[in-house]
Amino acid sequence: MPQNMSISVNGQSQVPPGFRFHPTEEELLQYYLRKKVSYEKIDLDVIRDVDLNKLEPWDIQEKCKIGSTPQNDWYFFSHKDKKYPTGTRTNRATAAGFWKATGRDKMIHGNSRRIGMRKTLVFYKGRAPHGQKSDWIMHEYRLDDNTTDTNNVSNAMGEATQEEGWVVCRIFKKKNYHKTLDSPMSSSLTISETGTSQWFSSNDEGTLEQILGPEHVGKTCKEEDEANNSKRFLRPIETGVNNGLIERCMKLPNLECPNSMITSQTCYQQIHHDQMLRENDAANIVTNQMFSGDPNPDYHPETSFNDWAALDRLVASQLNGQTETSKLLSSSFSDPSMAITALCSPCDGDDAQHIQLLQPQSSSSSSNRPYHTTQDYNNEFDLWSFSRSSADQLCQMLQYDRPTL
Amino acid sequence: MADNNVNLPPGFRFYPTDEELVVHFLHRKAALLPCNPDVIPDLDLYPYDPWELDGKALAEGNQWYFFSRRTQNRVTGNGYWKPLGGDEPVTTSASKRVGLKKYYMFYTGEPPAGIKTNWIMQEYRLSDTASSSRSSKRKGHPKTDYSKWVVCRVYERDDDDDGTELSCLDEVFLSLDDLDEINFPN
Repeated sequence: MPQNMSISVNGQSQVPPGFRFHPTEEELLQYYLRKKVSYEKIDLDVIRDVDLNKLEPWDIQEKCKIGSTPQNDWYFFSHKDKKYPTGTRTNRATAAGFWKATGRDKMIHGNSRRIGMRKTLVFYKGRAPHGQKSDWIMHEYRLDDNTTDTNNVSNAMGEATQEEGWVVCRIFKKKNYHKTLDSPMSSSLTISETGTSQWFSSNDEGTLEQILGPEHVGKTCKEEDEANNSKRFLRPIETGVNNGLIERCMKLPNLECPNSMITSQTCYQQIHHDQMLRENDAANIVTNQMFSGDPNPDYHPETSFNDWAALDRLVASQLNGQTETSKLLSSSFSDPSMAITALCSPCDGDDAQHIQLLQPQSSSSSSNRPYHTTQDYNNEFDLWSFSRSSADQLCQMLQYDRPTL
Repeated sequence: MADNNVNLPPGFRFYPTDEELVVHFLHRKAALLPCNPDVIPDLDLYPYDPWELDGKALAEGNQWYFFSRRTQNRVTGNGYWKPLGGDEPVTTSASKRVGLKKYYMFYTGEPPAGIKTNWIMQEYRLSDTASSSRSSKRKGHPKTDYSKWVVCRVYERDDDDDGTELSCLDEVFLSLDDLDEINFPN
């Protein structure tokens, strides 16, 4: 067999047919970035250097082509420079927009050792703070040699020292969440009847069915597919998604909104109520999955572990219609009576139930009664305090007649 | 099998498109042209169970590739492949139809009482028009010889995610970012 395939990427010759650059996170960090920071030569010029301030995502797409085959993601090295000489923030603005970090950094493990961190950034068109969110996502990987402790490390710590130097990045256009699988492969996934009826009988009977319409009950969708299929989380580039999930949830700070418990309840009820009308199939499926998966109402942390994936989906789907939610909140802000109405909405129980299921660690007696509906608002706040600042804003919005924030 | 005899740096994997499988690999195989790289083995005479493919077929991640020939009944040592649905066309980026793709699901036991598994096979064959026009030029060669070759991709059913989705938690964070940008009425 001839072995004379000289492959130079980004240039004349090509990667042999059928082959794609799909590195694992470990390969990116341990092979490519490690060589980069130690000035070792990398065999092929697979990963190029990119000045993030000079190139827009769609330009990077051009510059970081590998061969001539279609790509879903693009890789490059970037040198992070401080935004201000004295500060710790990185300047990631381009001519057309800026990259904004989102969420918390994720630890990357290799051989059960922590080898680096991954930051997720989103590209916004325009200028902060009025940028318009795009579908372009960047995963920025940095080496992390200093910390040998493989767990219990606060991500925020040491952030300042990580803001300079070489990183390796992967950009891609985010897929949208709400799509159904039309392939014949998904046809075997259906909702079990028991789960559905449990869900309905535990609530206002038939209400959801009315909202959803019968065609939504039993609908197969991607959420459920993934909920059923925890293997997805073993895919190379996402390995370890579950690792920190529970830990991260447990570490959440409490919501600091002391003087407005009822108000913030109200506003979240409003969100849910609103979302119920559109996102309900996802919620339904997830709930169904949980109940049918474990008919025993007692909570087993082990068995419920897979359900975290599903719940994660649920939360994401509940929040996905943010634009509408924002509008709605704005309108409820100008009309306080709407918020009151929402508090009395028939969906109260449903929401509390979702949220309770998100908290399997709370070993209170209420865990044994999944249909109990009223006493778990604190758990809800735990969840929503993911975005403490956002929640504070919401509370303030509903409380005060403030024209600006 | 991760090393496919192709001298590529870490991170390169065999993820062919349907078009590449048909045009580059299957077409060349059927036309008795050398495949370069010659990475997909010919398992025509070996009806392996899907879980036996590791170490024999070309493996990449949880997918296995091999050449075979079309048969009416794909029976293996412990089960059989049952067709799922009809043929899907394989087209080039220029919308030219070059082949057909057919799905099979693996059942253990004997038909029709076999037990369904999660193993799926995609069988690619050259489209009839392409093969017949070619074979007509090659008089004396039975046209079946040309069109019987297939290339198969076997995998255990999994998500078709290609990594361009965010993790669920990241989606939550991303959505919450929007709350920072609520417009206030004046």
